[in-house]
Amino acid sequence: MGMIPAREPPAGTTGFTAWARHNLFGSVSSGIISVLLGAFMLWAVFSILNWTLFSASWEPLWNNMRLLFVYRYPPELLWRPLGVVGLVLFLLGLSAATSRRETGSIIRGVYWSMAGVSWIPTVIALFAWPSVRWLWLGASLAGLLGLLLGRALPRFGRSLPWLWGASIPATVLLLYGVWNSGPLQMVGTRLWGGFMLTLVLATVGIVASFPIGVALALGRRSTLPAIKYFCIAFIEIVRGAPLITWLFIASLMVPLIFNVGPEAIDPLVRGLVAITFFSAAYMAENVRGGLQAVPRGQSEAARALGLSGWQTMSVIVLPQALKAVLPAIVGQAIGLFKDTSLVFIVGLFDFFEIGRRVIPNQTASLQIPGGVYMEMSVFMTLIYFFFAYRMSIASRQLEKQLGVGER
Amino acid sequence: MSESPTDTPARIPFWRNVKTIGIFFQLVFAAVMVALALVLVNNVVEALNRTNIPANFSFLPARAGVPIAETPIPYTPNDPYWRALLIGLLNTLRVAVIGVVLATILGVVVGVMRLSTNWVARQVATGYVELIRNTPLAVQIIFWFTAVLTVVPPLSSNPITLPGGMLVSNIGIAIPWLFPGYSFGQWLPWLIAAIVIGIGTWLLFRRRIAMSDRPARRAWPLALALFILIGGGSYLLIHSRTSMPENLALDFLVDRGRGSIFIDHDASGSMAGGEQPVPYAAVIMRIEEATLNATTSNVFESRRLNPSSFRFPFIRAGEVEDAQVSFAADEDAERFSVHFTAWPSRGIIYEDRNGNGEFDEGEDLNPETGRGFSGVSMVITVYNFERYVVADRDGQVRLPRFESASEAEAEAAPAAGGPSTGLFGLNLDATADTGAELDFTYELQHTGPLVWSTPVVSVSNYDGGIRFSTSYLAMLLALVFYTAAFMAEIVRGGVQAVARGQTEAAKALGLNASQTFSMIVFPQALRIILPPMISQYLNLTKNSSLAPLAAYGELFAISVIVANQTGASVPVTLMLIAAYVVISLIFALILNIVNARIALVER
Repeated sequence: MGMIPAREPPAGTTGFTAWARHNLFGSVSSGIISVLLGAFMLWAVFSILNWTLFSASWEPLWNNMRLLFVYRYPPELLWRPLGVVGLVLFLLGLSAATSRRETGSIIRGVYWSMAGVSWIPTVIALFAWPSVRWLWLGASLAGLLGLLLGRALPRFGRSLPWLWGASIPATVLLLYGVWNSGPLQMVGTRLWGGFMLTLVLATVGIVASFPIGVALALGRRSTLPAIKYFCIAFIEIVRGAPLITWLFIASLMVPLIFNVGPEAIDPLVRGLVAITFFSAAYMAENVRGGLQAVPRGQSEAARALGLSGWQTMSVIVLPQALKAVLPAIVGQAIGLFKDTSLVFIVGLFDFFEIGRRVIPNQTASLQIPGGVYMEMSVFMTLIYFFFAYRMSIASRQLEKQLGVGER
Repeated sequence: MSESPTDTPARIPFWRNVKTIGIFFQLVFAAVMVALALVLVNNVVEALNRTNIPANFSFLPARAGVPIAETPIPYTPNDPYWRALLIGLLNTLRVAVIGVVLATILGVVVGVMRLSTNWVARQVATGYVELIRNTPLAVQIIFWFTAVLTVVPPLSSNPITLPGGMLVSNIGIAIPWLFPGYSFGQWLPWLIAAIVIGIGTWLLFRRRIAMSDRPARRAWPLALALFILIGGGSYLLIHSRTSMPENLALDFLVDRGRGSIFIDHDASGSMAGGEQPVPYAAVIMRIEEATLNATTSNVFESRRLNPSSFRFPFIRAGEVEDAQVSFAADEDAERFSVHFTAWPSRGIIYEDRNGNGEFDEGEDLNPETGRGFSGVSMVITVYNFERYVVADRDGQVRLPRFESASEAEAEAAPAAGGPSTGLFGLNLDATADTGAELDFTYELQHTGPLVWSTPVVSVSNYDGGIRFSTSYLAMLLALVFYTAAFMAEIVRGGVQAVARGQTEAAKALGLNASQTFSMIVFPQALRIILPPMISQYLNLTKNSSLAPLAAYGELFAISVIVANQTGASVPVTLMLIAAYVVISLIFALILNIVNARIALVER
């Protein structure tokens, strides 16, 4: 008695046919949807390609790339912002190579997408932008160098927090400068703009709002009524009105509050004040959520072990709370990154403002039918989308890694 | 139990008592805050004194002089500032309310699509959500406002007419709409009665049916039938029984193309002070023969340059018996020929170089300059122009500014005639003394309680119908698409959170897929979905403050204008924040109520 010979699976249960039958033509209505939606998507992709390749006029955008990314930052000093790019890529590479923690794979993912994308401008620069050719190459290579260095000498991993911390003053030093002349001459913030400014606003906003937000969250949970109600009022009023009104108020009120002329205060400072406090109020609510998620037993156990109130909070409760809300904080960073597009209200020329007004105005004389609005909004969408989407992927991975949201 | 002296805790000195420390700490905190506030307020007061910035609300009753494009309630620049700000608030609500409704529909559709078994639907929905959520709303607003705007044809070169009479152009869209006519007041009690009876019947029968042995029966068909019977019957009755108000008259200057419909108390034929305009009255206006002028130009349309174009956007084919386009100058008439792309309102002129009598590619370009022929004067003569016009909210009616065809025909214009009441008081035929040499007649129309108004173009804006500017549409579209992406995720999460056993049990009971979803899964998901959904409604309302990007005059945009104009930045910002905080509190209140209701249902 031999075994029954193996037979082919029935037709249409494996492979593409089965997949299509299940996913595309599961029922009559599903089939209709597949065909109609599929046809619509094909048409959309075709028209977008057709527009991108044939009818769009990309030249104004191409000629104004520097404006879009660094605005009026002196061209001969471009090594400084690009140095910051190199520094960040270097540290990312170092972190990616040495991180041994559960979040290591997330950092590696971020590193590879950032380092990978940095090769796009590098290759373009090599062929088309002779003045920044070697700078871009250097920045991209710094990323690789960081990775290799981290692999070769893993003990760098321990000093990484210090290196990241030191990168903040280094960035300020590089972008703003120190002396009146020389290679590190000061570059006033009025010359800052473009995507560089967008990143500065988002980074400073999220970093500066963090301690304020934590303080507000702790204040809101305080048992002392004066502090508690002050924090509640601050958080709710700030969250009650949209960011654009706070930016408007910052541009009007900050000079009044300091009793100086309207021009005396740097628009960057006004924008940062509004963004930081606005972000802090939202941060406070995120952190509060985390604090509520920490079981009471944790702080009670800590007190029973003899830890003081501060120790309990800083060593036991806050670390757990912040870990729980890390994905939410990344989500907030995405929101802030997108919201920086509103700083035109205080008179800053960020990436969005340059794409919205400066370039269309400058190229108005070219008499391109319909202007370059479509081109500009498509390009801005691409850039914003890349960074925000990368962050949202990281946020989702964090959520999974940290087991947040799982029951 | 023995108590040793070491067991009794030593009395804590008062400076280490937690309570004392707390009070002390609060006092210090309060003192610091008050001191800080005093310093800042003092600074602000000094700065205000130094710069003479008004710091009170006395500017509110002053004349605003702010032109606002879209006004839900009557408004002129002569109205005070508070009214301008009120219009801003109403415009915020106008975009928020419609936006919330549309975003909810789109959000639910996309959320369900993300869970679909259909691969294409799932991918499209995911792509949409990711793209929209990760792009700033500001970019999306200017995409809709500036980028899409350049694809839509300008009003001056003929708007797109969609089936049903909807008009689309670069100033926005206009949709045919029903307005309350002069007999609406008589119908209103019947309408209210119909609604009350309809709802009452529905509630009553729903209870009866629920308690009866046939709970599957529906109560709404009877309620709807009653509503239609009462509402519709009374409508028809009023429509046939009432007549036009006595002395209803039209005061129209045909050479200026404007006039108003009003109650002519003194039978003078012209609107005097104290005579009230009648909104939404209908009139048919006729002109026997008249002309309009235009010059050719090279116009941008839908991102394309259309050379040598002439446009008569105010005239549509159905409104005239005949129309002839000619050249104003004789030498132009010899040189050029006319080619219509849409008779009689759109066409181009060309040089018939090969003499075949037809337009060929390139003949619309001047070979010397490589551009089209612009600045050539054109005249259109229309014969037996007739248009049905519904007056607007202020009783105003408009026509294109026609000119008389010739002196000779102008002399034949009939003399003045006052409005005369026809048999049964239904038709009024009249010839007005317009002062112009145009053969103009009009016929006021009897209308029912509701008047159907189809939009037309007669000057530089739409007339009739309900109109939405490009600014409004850009804001609405951006807000709807943006918020719907977040709502889709909420809906998806909510549906996924419903326990699998519920679906399986429903299937086991023999419910089909749509019944399972609509009767089992969705009602349970709704409890999870509703609270975050309400925060999204609030977000949409707050995000409407990005309106300056689309030049839409809502609360924030108008506040900025008022603050800049009066210099009263402090009071205006206080009002602005108060308004938004109040809106937020209202939403928080709704959220709390909903949460309470949901909690009750769960138990």
